[in-house]
Amino acid sequence: MSAMRTALLGHIVRPTARGITSTVRIHGLRGVQTTSSASATAQVQQSEPKAAIPSGSGKASSGIEIAQQGSNQLSLETPRNAAEYVLSTFDKIANWARQGSMWPMTFGLACCAVEMMHMAAARYDQDRLGIVFRASPRQSDIMIVAGTLTNKMAPALRKVYDQMPEPRWVISMGSCANGGGYYHYSYSVVRGCDRIVPVDIYVPGCPPTAEALLYGMLQLQRKMRKNRKGVLWYRR
Amino acid sequence: MSNSLWRYVKNVQKMGFKNYVRAMWYIGDAKGGKFVGEDQFGNKYYENLNPEEETPGRQRWVDYTQHNFDASQLPPEWHAWMHHIRKDPPSSDFQMLQASRPKWIGPFRENLSGTRGAFKTYSTTQPKFHAWDPKVSQRAPSASA
Repeated sequence: MSAMRTALLGHIVRPTARGITSTVRIHGLRGVQTTSSASATAQVQQSEPKAAIPSGSGKASSGIEIAQQGSNQLSLETPRNAAEYVLSTFDKIANWARQGSMWPMTFGLACCAVEMMHMAAARYDQDRLGIVFRASPRQSDIMIVAGTLTNKMAPALRKVYDQMPEPRWVISMGSCANGGGYYHYSYSVVRGCDRIVPVDIYVPGCPPTAEALLYGMLQLQRKMRKNRKGVLWYRR
Repeated sequence: MSNSLWRYVKNVQKMGFKNYVRAMWYIGDAKGGKFVGEDQFGNKYYENLNPEEETPGRQRWVDYTQHNFDASQLPPEWHAWMHHIRKDPPSSDFQMLQASRPKWIGPFRENLSGTRGAFKTYSTTQPKFHAWDPKVSQRAPSASA
């Protein structure tokens, strides 16, 4: 049902020009705000707030709307005919199912793994998003590479990745997995796990907090939601 | 009791059917509280400091404008309020209003990772080595030919 709803919303074309003018107006408001000096009276201070922090009167457009103007993604999300409408709806159902039960394969290699455990624990509680750690690569769809990937571990990492069924995603967690990090110049460390497996989301930090990792998971959900495999197949 | 059925029913009555459906869709709970403000993107902010009605720790919440919502869509002033860095909302926070932002600060943008607006790093220095581009120079005409 959520897929149907978004499909309906997808028809609403958002105007470009309005979005751009409203951001310009915010620039203007900020200019007004910086003119306020220490000598401003109490009355001025009370009238300033509306100018200083833009509130509900003029809606600024979101950055995503501007960034996606004329993009391939926007074109994929706007169905051209009935067949594409049906296919994109199926795509959305598949995306919804995938993002609602992300099962990460835990590849805890170093101290990042501790933060990864914190994500599973009570405070950040990944289970509310349907994220459940699964210790078997054959039944998981995400791999969190948490920690320093050494040369010795690299073949094992690749083997585990190859054992995961499609569709699969990889989250590189922490600076060691992202690009070697502290051990970048070590003789025994792989300079980034993207030399071994294709990475979808890079979570920066040393180690990243559990909150940062959870935000990375949410970003991966966003990436999953953009999938339009059926429409792509139809257009080809 | 903050999580009782009575609170739920009361909040549904308070917010009306339309808002209730929206709240269940996006927030997943019928939350009733005081409307505090709205930012430039249209995100709406609410507060209920009564521990009898809302569990402490859940007393401030936001109703996002966008369907695909994301925590990075809150502008910094409202982020400070949401996370209890500032006590008062930015529309009435004296400190927040007095601290004028420098002119060079650009407009706030949410996290654009994964879109065309994403930040891509670039280098301004000359590359230190180049790929080999094999070039064969013209042979001099030999004397025998």
